[in-house]
Order: sequence, then C-alpha cells, then structure tokens
Amino acid sequence: MTKSEFEPKIVGFLCNWCSYAGADLAGVSRIQYPPTLRIVRVMCSGRVDPVFILEAFRSGADGVLVAGCHPGDCHYLSGNYKLQRRVSMLKKVLEQFGLEPERLRLEWVSASEGDRFATVIKDMTEKVKKLGPSPLNNGG
Amino acid sequence: MKDKVGAVLVVGGGIAGIQASLDLANSGFRVYLLDESPSIGGTMTQLDKTFPTNDCAMCILAPKLVMAGRHPNIELIMGAEIKSVEGEEGHFQVALVRKPRYIDEEKCTGCGVCARKCPIEGIDEFNEGLGERTAIYVKYPQAVPLVYAIDRDKCIGCGTCQEVCKAGAVKYDEKEKRIALHVGSIILSPGFEEFDPKLKGEYGYGRYSNVVSSIEFERILSASGPYGGIVLRPSDGKVPRKIAFIQCVGSRDAKIGNNYCSSACCMYAIKEAIIAKEHNPDLQCTIFFMDVRAYGKEFDAYYNRAEEEYGVKFVRSRVPQIGEVLESQNLLVKYVEDENPATEEFNLVVLSVGMRPPKHAEELAKTLDIKLNKYNFCSSETFSPLETSRPGIYVCGAFSSPKDIPESVAQASGAAAKAASSISSAREMLTTVKEYPPERDVSGEEPRIGVFVCHCGINIGGVVNVPEVVEYVKTLPNVAYAEHNLYTCSEDTQKRIHEIIKEHNLNRVVVASCTPRTHEPLFRETVREAGLNIYLFEMANIRDQCSWVHMHEHEEATEKAKDLVRSIVAKTRLLKPLKKPMIDVTPIGLVIGGGLSGMTAALELAKQDFEAHLVEKEKELGGHLRHIHYLLGSEDPQERLGSIIKEVTENEKIHVHLNSELSDVEGYVGNFKTTLNNDGEKKEIKHGVVIVATGAMEYNPNEYLYGVDERVVTQRELEERLTNGGFNAKTVVMIQCVGSRNGEHPYCSRICCSQAVKNALKIKELSPETDVYVLYKDMRTYGFLEDYYREAASKGVLFINYDDENRPRLVQENGKLKLTVWEPVIKTWTPIEPDLLALSVATLPNPDNEHIAKMLKVPLSKDKFFLEAHMKLRPVDFATEGIFLCGLAHWPKSIEESISQACAAAARAATILSKEALEVEGAIANVNEDFCSGCKICESVCAYNAIEMKEVDGKPRAHVLEALCKGCGVCGSSCPTGAISMLNFTDDQILAQVRAALKEETKYD
Amino acid sequence: MMFRPKIVGFLCNWSLPQEVNTTGTGIIQGYPKIRIVRVMCIGRIDPVIVLETFVKGADGVLVIGCHPPDCHYIEGNLQAERKIKMLKKLISRTGLEPERLRLDWAYASETELFATIIDDFRTQVAVLGPSPLAGKKPDENVLAGIMAAKAVTGDSRLRTLVGREKELIEEGNVYNEKVEQEEFDEVMNESIDEEYVRSRIRLLVKDRPMSVEGLARHLGLDPKKVLRHIVVLRHRGLVALDKIEREDPLYIALEVT
Repeated sequence: MTKSEFEPKIVGFLCNWCSYAGADLAGVSRIQYPPTLRIVRVMCSGRVDPVFILEAFRSGADGVLVAGCHPGDCHYLSGNYKLQRRVSMLKKVLEQFGLEPERLRLEWVSASEGDRFATVIKDMTEKVKKLGPSPLNNGG
Repeated sequence: MKDKVGAVLVVGGGIAGIQASLDLANSGFRVYLLDESPSIGGTMTQLDKTFPTNDCAMCILAPKLVMAGRHPNIELIMGAEIKSVEGEEGHFQVALVRKPRYIDEEKCTGCGVCARKCPIEGIDEFNEGLGERTAIYVKYPQAVPLVYAIDRDKCIGCGTCQEVCKAGAVKYDEKEKRIALHVGSIILSPGFEEFDPKLKGEYGYGRYSNVVSSIEFERILSASGPYGGIVLRPSDGKVPRKIAFIQCVGSRDAKIGNNYCSSACCMYAIKEAIIAKEHNPDLQCTIFFMDVRAYGKEFDAYYNRAEEEYGVKFVRSRVPQIGEVLESQNLLVKYVEDENPATEEFNLVVLSVGMRPPKHAEELAKTLDIKLNKYNFCSSETFSPLETSRPGIYVCGAFSSPKDIPESVAQASGAAAKAASSISSAREMLTTVKEYPPERDVSGEEPRIGVFVCHCGINIGGVVNVPEVVEYVKTLPNVAYAEHNLYTCSEDTQKRIHEIIKEHNLNRVVVASCTPRTHEPLFRETVREAGLNIYLFEMANIRDQCSWVHMHEHEEATEKAKDLVRSIVAKTRLLKPLKKPMIDVTPIGLVIGGGLSGMTAALELAKQDFEAHLVEKEKELGGHLRHIHYLLGSEDPQERLGSIIKEVTENEKIHVHLNSELSDVEGYVGNFKTTLNNDGEKKEIKHGVVIVATGAMEYNPNEYLYGVDERVVTQRELEERLTNGGFNAKTVVMIQCVGSRNGEHPYCSRICCSQAVKNALKIKELSPETDVYVLYKDMRTYGFLEDYYREAASKGVLFINYDDENRPRLVQENGKLKLTVWEPVIKTWTPIEPDLLALSVATLPNPDNEHIAKMLKVPLSKDKFFLEAHMKLRPVDFATEGIFLCGLAHWPKSIEESISQACAAAARAATILSKEALEVEGAIANVNEDFCSGCKICESVCAYNAIEMKEVDGKPRAHVLEALCKGCGVCGSSCPTGAISMLNFTDDQILAQVRAALKEETKYD
Repeated sequence: MMFRPKIVGFLCNWSLPQEVNTTGTGIIQGYPKIRIVRVMCIGRIDPVIVLETFVKGADGVLVIGCHPPDCHYIEGNLQAERKIKMLKKLISRTGLEPERLRLDWAYASETELFATIIDDFRTQVAVLGPSPLAGKKPDENVLAGIMAAKAVTGDSRLRTLVGREKELIEEGNVYNEKVEQEEFDEVMNESIDEEYVRSRIRLLVKDRPMSVEGLARHLGLDPKKVLRHIVVLRHRGLVALDKIEREDPLYIALEVT
C-alpha cells in the first residue's frame, strides 16, 4: 500500500456533553470531513482509561483522538484536567512501543464547535496519513 | 367555592400546543389537546429544515409528537372545534364537536392498505397541492396519531376501504360527536394561516406555474416532499439555475391591510436559499428584501454565512411586479437597483408569504369571548403577553403575533405556567400514572439483538446503502433480527419494534439512526414498553456523524456505517439491565437575578405553590426596567415595575436576597445546595432547580465622540432627558447598531430599533418641529412593532439606510457636531448638524455569565450569552437537568419576550418541582468490594463527593452514593485495581466497542 | 375490392342464435368474417381481453348480450355495458377509433336482429378502414396507447370504479346517498385520463430513462401535468429518479414485484 492510497482509521473517544454534541453539530451543519473516524461515546473524557487507548492501537487504529469539553467547561467539573495529565504520560509509553506520539491527540471541542470538530478530523487525518499505517496495523 | 379542575384544554396541536401540553402533563395536570385537522404537528411538519441550526424539522419534532401521542395524561381530540365555553377561571365547561373521521382510532394500525386501494384522488394539501392524495389518507407519513381519515368532500362512498381493511377500522356510519369537557384553564395555540399570495396579483401566483409560495418551496426542498428532495420547478420539472425570493408578500403592506411584519420570513427565506444551494451548489439565489430582519439568537451569523459562504445575493428592493416569459416560463422580476429600474430573469420565484391570523379567529374569539387586535390576532398586553382578555384563557404561539418556532415554544411553556398556576390546587387530581409491563428477566439468556437501521427519509438512505448495512448486520454474531425503516422514530415503527421484540424474543435492541442525544429517550421508552430494561438499548449514529458529513462518499460512508453499527452491536452484546434510583426533590426554586425576568420567574413559581429564592446582586430589584420610562404601547412601565416588586416582596413564598451573589453551587437536580454571599456573610440555601436570569448590560460606546461631547448620548440617556425634562434639541440624529453587528459583536441587539422608534415618536410628541433622523442598517421592527415604525415615518422621522462601507462620520467643528451621512437615494455625502446624537448601543452579555456558567456547569454561546439545550425546541432549558434560563441572559429581548420566557422557565422547573421524587440515571459507578484495596484515590478524584469509604469486614472499602454520582467515570479510570466499573460504560463494553470499530471479529468472548 | 373487416364478436351463451350453437365452429353462416367467441355472460368480458383482441389485429369488436333487464346472470349485461362505456372512453385516448367497439342487445330468437346488427357494424367498421393495428406494420403510437390502456384496465383503480358504478348510482353509497351519474362520470373521466397517461409514462420509461420534457413532447402534453404524474408514480413506487442530466432529472420505471 502506498502512502497516498492509505486511508487511516482513527478511533475517537468523545465525551457526551461537548465533543459528541460538537460532532453532531458538524453533521447538522453538513460540514464535510474525511470518513476516517470511528466514534466511541463516553460520558466524560475523564472516563477514557489508558487501557482503552492502548487497546485501540493494538486493534490496529492508526490514530486515536480523545476529545472533551474545554478546560473549565467540563460537565463533570474537572474530568478533562485529569485526562490531560494521563495523555501526556501515555504519549511517552507509545514512543516506547515504536508509535509516533502524534498518533494520539487530545482536543477540546465544545458543543458549539462543529466547524472546529471537522477541522480537527481533517487535520488529524492529514497528519496520520503522512505518518503512514500504524506499525501495529497489520491490515486488520 | 368549588374545587378547581386539574385539567387544561389546549386548542391547536402545532408545536406550541404540543409543548404546552407536555409541560402541563409532566407537572401533574390532565390535558386535552384539540386540533381541527386529523393529526397534530401543525405547520412545522411541513418544513424541511429549521434555522439557524439547519436541523431537519421532522427529526427534532418527531420525538415530541410521539411523546405527546403516547403520554398517559394527554388526550388527543382530533378533527374537533369548540362550540361554547361556559364558566370561569378554574371551572370551564367546554362543548366540542368532533367531525366524523370514519375510522376507528383504536382499531386503525396505520398500515395504509386502504389508501393504496382507494380509487379517488385529490389535491394533497400537505404537499401544498404539488402532489395528489387519496380520499382516505394520513396527513403525513409520521403523523400522530397514525390513524387514517376519510375526506368526506372527496369520497364517493364506494366502500373499497372497508373491504380491504383487515383491522375492521372503517365505520361509515360515524356521526358528528358532541363532547363536553370540564377544565380549569384553556390555552389557545391555533397558529396562523399563510397569506394567500393570489391576493398580490402583480406577482402572478396561480397564473405563472413557476411562482411558488415559501411553504410550497419547503415541500419542494423536503426529502419526503413531492419531488423527493430535488429542487425542481413545477412547470416542467427542470432543475432551476436561478431562484428569486421575494420578501414581505402579504406583510408590511398597507395596500392589503397587513401593516405588520411577519417576523420569521427573512430567516426562513435565507434558510431556504441556503438549503437550495446545498442541494445544488451551482444554483444562484437572490433575495429581494426591504430590511433583513435577522434579529434572533445567532441569526445575523446565519445571514452572514448565507452571503459570504453560500454566495446568496441580497438586493434591497421591494419588487413591484413579476412577468412571465411565454416560451421558457421563466420569470421577469422587476426591481429597483441604485434608484434605476431593473429586470432580471429567473427560473423560479419563491414568494415569502406572511402570517395571517387563523381562518376562524373571529369565530373562535366570539365563542370564547376574547378580544382580538385590529389584525384579528389575539390581543394581549406588554406585561401580560400570555393572557387573553378573559381570565383563565391563555394564548401562545403565532396567534398572539407572528413569530418563529423558539419563541412559540417559549410562549407555550409560559402559557403552561399560567394555566397551571390558576389551578395549582388541583394538581394531580386528574392524572394517571403510566403503568409499564414488568421487566423481563434476561439474565442467563444468550444475547438476542434486534437492529433497526433508519433511512431517515433520504438523510441517511441517500448516502449510505441502508439495505446493504442491514444485510451485513444480519451476519454479526448474536444479531437475531435486522431491518430498515424509512423513519425508525415514527410512531408506527415504535409499534413495530415493540412487536418484533416480542415476536423474535429479543433481549437487546440497537437503532442505527441519528444522535442518542435527541432520540435515545424515545427508543428507551419503546423497549421499556416491550418489557425490556432501558439499558438494554443502544444507538449507532450513522447520520450526524456519517451520512451528513460524508455526503459525497457513498461507499466509504456505507463502510463506516457498518463499522459503527458493528461496534455498537459488540457493546450491546455486553449490556446489562440497570436500576434507576429515585431521589427526593426539594420543591424550592433558586432564581439568579432580580430583574423583570427573575422576578417573573419567582412569582410564577410561587403562584404554583413552590417556594422561591430570588438572588439579586444589586441593592434593589428591577434590573433594566428601572431605566425604562415609557413604552411603545400605553402601559406605564414604572407603575408596573412598582406593582411587580410589591407583589414579589409581599409574597410569602418568595425569599428575596439583595446584595447577594452565588459563591458556590453543589448538588444536582432536585437537591441543590447553594451558598450565597451577602456582603461577606454566607448563607446556605437548599433548592431543587435553578433559573438563570442574570440579565445583560449596555455597551459603553467609544464611537462617535461618546464621552467626549455631551451632546452624544445613548438611547437610554435620551429617554431620561425626554422623561425628566432637559430636552430641547432641534435636530436629533440616531445611529443604530453602535457596538452591534460589527467585528467585535457580530450579533444584532434586537431591541434597539424599536427603542429608537419609541424615542423618535416621543420627540415628535413633545416637540413636533424637531427634525429626527434615524441612520440604520436594517430597521428590525418585527411583528406589530412595524406599526410604530410606520407611524414614526408618517410623522416625519427620516430613516436613512447606511452600510458598513458608508458609515456616518462625525466631527466636532467650531463647537458644533458635524455629521456626514451617505444619502443612498441622491448618492451624496450629506452634512447634518445635530444638537443631539443618540447612539443605539448594543446589549452585551453580563460579564458575570462566565463564572456563573462555570459554577453551574452550563455552556455559553460564542457571544457569551447562555447557551440553551436546543435553539429551536428547548429555548429555556440547559442540557443539564434542573437548570433553566430566561430573559436577557439568553439573548437581548423585549419586555413581553422576557416575561414569556420567565414564565416558560417556571413551567419547565415545575415539571421537576411538582414531583416528590425523581428517577435518576442508572448508569453510574459501581464498586466491586472484593477488588477494592481501600486506597481512597477514587474518593479524592471524585468532584461530586459521591464516594465515601465504608468499613467492610474491618477494612475500608469505597462506596458510591448513587444520588450524587453523575456517571462520569473518572473514578473508574483512576482506580489502580480495576475495582470500579461504570455501569453501561464498563471497560469490557468500551473495549469490545473499540475492537469491533476497527476490525471484524468472528468470535466474541 | 371492398375492404372486408375482421370482426370478433363476443356473444353471450343465452342470446346466441340456435344455428350458431349448432355449428360449433364459431362462425355464423353467411358471415364468414365474423369470428364468434362464446361466453357464458358478456359480464364476463374483461376489458383486457377486448384490448388484446385489437392488439391481435381485429378491425372491430362486437359484443352482444341479452336485452336488459333480462340476463341469465341477473345483470351481467349491465355490468358489461359499463365496462364497454369505460373502454370506449379509454380507447378514444389511444388513437384507435372507439367506433370499432360496439355493444348491442339481442335475444337468441332474434336471428334477423342479429343479422342487422352485424351488418351495421361491418359497414361502420368498413368505412373506418383497416385497424391501425392490423397488418404487418401496426401503428406504433396506437399500439403503445392500447398497451397502456391494457395495463390500466388491469389495475385496481378503474376496475373498482366500474365495478361500483351501478351500485353507487342506483342503490346509493356507503353513506346511503345516491351518486349522480354526472358526478360519477366526472370522477370516471378524470381517473381514465390520469391512469392512462401514467400508464403510458411507465411504459415509455421502461427501458430508457426520460425527462419530463421528453415525456411531455412524446405524449403531446403540458410538462406541468407530466410532472404531477411523475410525482404520483414515484409515490406509488412505480417510477424512480435515474439520474440528472444538466437540468433535467431522468426517470425510469421500477420493476414491481
């Protein structure tokens, strides 16, 4: 598979209150973005256990997006802060596995940011495309 | 005195009537919802999309239709009208007559075989005459109730339907039925009538095939409309390349006697142009307008997007005439450009028809003994916008003035509050509790999953190959059944799901359609009615997050849809039934903000017998209203303010906290605990709901020498001068949109146009010889405010339009104010020397909003006003249960609108406060004590203090307080031993979902 | 040589003259060009059969039954009358002369009357000349019309109306009201018009997609009306949008199972 043909698969953990709503808004506004994302809804981005992220990579994800409410907006007060610390830790772990840390991305997307959500997906798709298939992705 | 009757009659089953009915039924009253047509839903069912979110109208309406249709305390009375109303507030005897439907509502299954066999055809009114329907019909495919009706005017009585009806539902001998109702209050929500564009002969409607009305165009745009969602012109079925929209057809038109503005047409025309462009990007759309009245929340942003992103062309000109080109049946639109007559050819013309009072308004008014205004809309007053002239009868929606959907919905909830407060002593006297069948024990059963994949008209089916997805789903392990539906959310599909659960002995259900954020409750209800625990249901979002965002990649979208459904099926396989704990409700409300909205909300709560705490940070109540000295109408605002303050302070149930601010809010719906800071003194309040009414503030301008030259004032300062003397100017210029509709504040402040007209009229009243100029971008005197605009113009006030390129320029010269104004008619810069320059300044969000929003965990909009749960249908709710908003905290608005919203917030709050206990979320944290090491990390990370340590066998073990837990799962992902699982989002479930999202698995364990 | 039309006669068993009965050949002596099809009752004659007879090249179709109100099957003859009335209206839209179809009454004993009826009809048809559908090169337009008419008469809408006509007019409808003949005819004519055009559209787009404009040109109709028919046909699931070429959506017939 050449890199130009490569269509990455990205798993997105989206919090129910902000980012999932933001993704809905992108849909309602018909803002087009590449069909690379597979969404897993969680109530709060703080719920995203490192195990989930590692499992996504192990199952062949080329990228993982964790999206939650903007810091301070968290429906669950501070779940997203805790997540931020966890993600930076995880990036180091990924490097040890030989995965580029850019394959894991944390974004704050609010319910009113459909446009931004689409931009994030477009941008992440581009970047992961450049990285090529995940070394753990043996073709599904 | 007799006891009051705990029932309400709602007249008119459009969106307003439905909302009022739901609010009343959910706060302990019995509701009779009457409509003259065979189904509820009103005009909104005919709309394609709605502005400014472009939500599909049917998608957001359908859940409410279904809820109203299946609510145990709402009785639908279709095809009926009122004959008489006797009695008074609290006890009305209403006589109704119900036209025969000729179909037994109990027996009809809505299968539609009768319509397929009926030999008689006629005009399909639902599709505005663009198609045909049979004499036996349902109004629209998702109709509620989904019961056919015979159109007696068309039926020749051949008897075929009875022969083919397997349910035996046809009864030709049905007669007109008289119904007597005993109700405590009445709400009128009969909606409006579209203006008949034939009355504007110069536009050729009815003569030229390609001149259509805006509502016809909605049907043309609609995926379920006559043309299947491709924009075509009626004369020859061709795809038009150029469409013109003509505004103010039947509105702002003295010639036909409709002087008022219909309020919604500018926005719906912009929406129709945008949606048409989405259908066909090469299409050219031109909107011919007088003023673009985009005064609502986020409307201007929408207008700007139409112009800048979609390339919709806006031409400021009233169109005097339309002609037809014989051969092509194209249309010649005559207009005025730069003061020169011009003509342009279009393939299709859409007339933006205005709103007229309902057809039977006069008859209705006579029967009910209520007053109408001069246009035959229902008459109401500024400070009592929801009340008719007869006590106990309330009004909402377009019947009181032309208005859009969110305002109709807010008024509907407001009218529900009014209707409830006059009979609050009879709450729960006539209601019944919904009985569910016992939950089936599915433990020990192999998962048997049923999957329902929705076409959503063509919203999904037009992109994703739905039948292919269904075939694929059937191959997944544990999927016992799969099918596709045109609309999985429709009432008939709910019945179908119910039957299929039974027939196939399903123990888990997946719906692949739109977002669980709007539709999960509906489907959960359906599975519950079929005897399944609601947590045995899941949704895959293949519309908002698939077909709508990959519109041009059909194959990829189909593959993605398969992945999404597969991953949800993998999770569903592992779902477990959960219990919903009950929590007590403190029947007290907390209202933040002591302005008009806050006081009204507190009063409405008190009138419904709930205690209310009213928190005001200033030393006195009244807010902005304290600065308003006169109105466009005749009421005296200060007198009214005085009596409202008196009513609030004298009401035993209202506790006013002045000089107070919130310092902390904890708890959750039903059980909030708020700490108030009263000059450093802390006070703790327990309450069940919060109403945010924090108001807004006025922009402090730095434009036009404000603060430098004392002859430059704000409208409010001008109003002070006009009230308290000291006004003696000979030339007054008013400049609109100072601080609004610019780069910094792109939105419209809504109230300034009418404020300017109000002050201009006052000047003309006090000093008729004073010259008054109003420099405006668009005069946005919507609704009946238009009358005052016209009056001001007739009294010699000069209105001069300016745009961003030609803003007025002001200098001080020789001690004089010199204003240079671009005069668009004579096309020159014209000097004016005002002795007084009044700036119509923007309304800005309250700066306190940011920290209050954080404290309450509710969102703000881009412009920093509070952001409601849904702009169209949940205008006063937040997404977080138990918190509501009203007034200027939501968006700039008038007194009437603030009062309506405040009443609405109270009604919404009452749906919670009226319950002794609320069911809470069952999807919460759960501790496996065997694995818990007692490390207390979870206790420290839980922001809700929902975890406490308990001694179990002498060791500390984590324990979850169910009522406090919000189900975020932070504790679970922090637990070092994996002892905490998040019910309904367990590690196993999420991991299975992740794995299945990425690859096919043949074996699951 | 004078044109000798091929005529098919549908005769009811009870009004058929003895001599015909005895020959058993289906040919009345002296009238070799009239082929007789014996039916138990002319009420039995399905409009589809009459149309098929024209497709097969008959220059005229003659239906003879007992004089009303006599009918061995109570009122089969009157039922036939209504069917023939509808058929004539339908045929007139196809370009085939409706005079090529005739219904008449005679008792079995009225041999002379038979001869007169047959003579009359033969003359009438002879004047019209050969049927446009007869011969090796039938008129395609008329053939298309008759095929469309056949499909219509097989469909439930017109069959229902014809079947109910007598009852509605003479006995009253389900609401116990008698329907005026005029009112009924109006409904009937409209239905015939609509269903005939729709049927033609369906046949036209069976093999190749066509635009509203193309259909209108072909049918000589106002495109506005054609579009309305397309709306109905799409709603019934009989026609679908195939593709859009420039500014013209093209429609194609759907196979109905």
